[in-house]
Amino acid sequence: MSKAIEIENFSYGYPDGTMALSDIKLSIEHGQKVVLIGPNGAGKSTLLLTMAGFVKGTGKVFIDGLEVNRKNLKNIRTCLGSCLENPDDQLFMPTLFDDVAFGPLNMGLGVEQVKKRVADALQTVGLAGMADKAPHHLSAGQKRAAAIATILSMTPKIITLDEPDGSLDPRNRNNLIKLLGCLTQTLIIATCNMNFAAAIADRAVLMDKGQIIADGDAKEIMWDFKLMNGHGLEVPTARD
Amino acid sequence: MPAVPVSGALRVLVCEFGCTYQMHHAHIDKFAYQDSVIHRLDSRVKFIAVLVFTAVVISLPRTSLSILACFAIGPFAVLVLGGIPLRFVFKQILLVSPFVLVLALSCPLYDRTPLTVAFGPFLWRGTIGWMRCFAILGKFVVTMLALIGLVSTTRFNDLLAGLQKLGVPKLLVIQLGFLYRYIFVLIDRAHHILQARAGRKLRNLGFKRELRTASAMVGSLFIRSIDTAEHINIAMQGRGFDGRWRSISKLQIRRADLLFAIISIFFMLVLYIFVKPILQ
Repeated sequence: MSKAIEIENFSYGYPDGTMALSDIKLSIEHGQKVVLIGPNGAGKSTLLLTMAGFVKGTGKVFIDGLEVNRKNLKNIRTCLGSCLENPDDQLFMPTLFDDVAFGPLNMGLGVEQVKKRVADALQTVGLAGMADKAPHHLSAGQKRAAAIATILSMTPKIITLDEPDGSLDPRNRNNLIKLLGCLTQTLIIATCNMNFAAAIADRAVLMDKGQIIADGDAKEIMWDFKLMNGHGLEVPTARD
Repeated sequence: MPAVPVSGALRVLVCEFGCTYQMHHAHIDKFAYQDSVIHRLDSRVKFIAVLVFTAVVISLPRTSLSILACFAIGPFAVLVLGGIPLRFVFKQILLVSPFVLVLALSCPLYDRTPLTVAFGPFLWRGTIGWMRCFAILGKFVVTMLALIGLVSTTRFNDLLAGLQKLGVPKLLVIQLGFLYRYIFVLIDRAHHILQARAGRKLRNLGFKRELRTASAMVGSLFIRSIDTAEHINIAMQGRGFDGRWRSISKLQIRRADLLFAIISIFFMLVLYIFVKPILQ
């Protein structure tokens, strides 16, 4: 069976010559919950964009067995849903319903099917009954949940989330942890918040300066004070 | 000479978009989410009614000031039935009025032909310029009442769906949708920038430096807008957007919509054909 994500020697540099990603090798099995941790500018977001086919560099990237290239892009984006860092970028339609329906409609689903998917996705994230709300009327926590619903409605096998805990208060962060814990899809989450990462992931990939520094069991990596401190990170404050 | 706070212009601009400096932007369209007999009407019917109403009011001769008051009854009834507070309505009219006031108040300056108007036993001696000025202001207030009645009782997404159904080009509808969605984000950003500036501006900087600050602020907003546009593009493509816009329309013409259309036509016809000749 093909792996969820397979990246072979991928490198990408900005036009000014700065390497955003250097010789990335990464393999993620289906169903794993993986956190990409690292300081600001480590290349976490760029790696997530690479998986969704938005960054072209050297090396090969496979999503669910499909090589990321122009020909496979539609299938890849049906299989892998990416949730951006700022929910305001993710929620661009006038109402929540239209936003959550946007993906399924582009997949060519029928009206009734789309309506069902929207209802199911909103139910999953706890926003049932708010379909007619405008995104600017939602709270930060609701916006985050709504952004995830826009991806869930496409029923992808893999979900990537960029800093999903950003600007969330503890209650909303806990709700998000519960929600992500319930999802059965492969999750790849980029975050700088170690408590959040420790609460979700079973595997951690530590990145710095565009390279993968460590890859393994989340607890082993995140509680290695020397390793974390050496890359400008902190260990989680509480175990489990 | 006191320095002019040029960056204050940005604040005025933010306010012109419908909020006071302290007021939260969510107030702009808060009444559109109420429920009333007017709110439940199909957006297409309301839009066409307002369009025709505006055309009829604009086509009235400039001497028909009293008929304008009769025409105002229509949008006034819509606002009352829709539960829109009149204080809010007049505030909105005041916000846009400076643009029309300039136009209206210039009329008495270039047309000073004497004119006498009789109000029953009373005579008013003025000029055609002043008559024009009052006509422009009257038509502005009446058409604004109708327009505010439309936008305050119709959710913007329903209005967009209605426009699309009426054949307005999809690209324009999409642009309007993005404008509505991101004007709130832009207002928020502008608000934050103004707060950041106010927090560090401890003295009057003088005209030149204020101008430089204002242009830097506008530039920052512009660059962040481009950044947002790039992210939206990623979000759209990530969800399978291939250049074709697909949507589900929930609009449906019902009996109440037909009744509203008939009442609107009847109201305008009666005023235009029967009442106007009497009052002119």
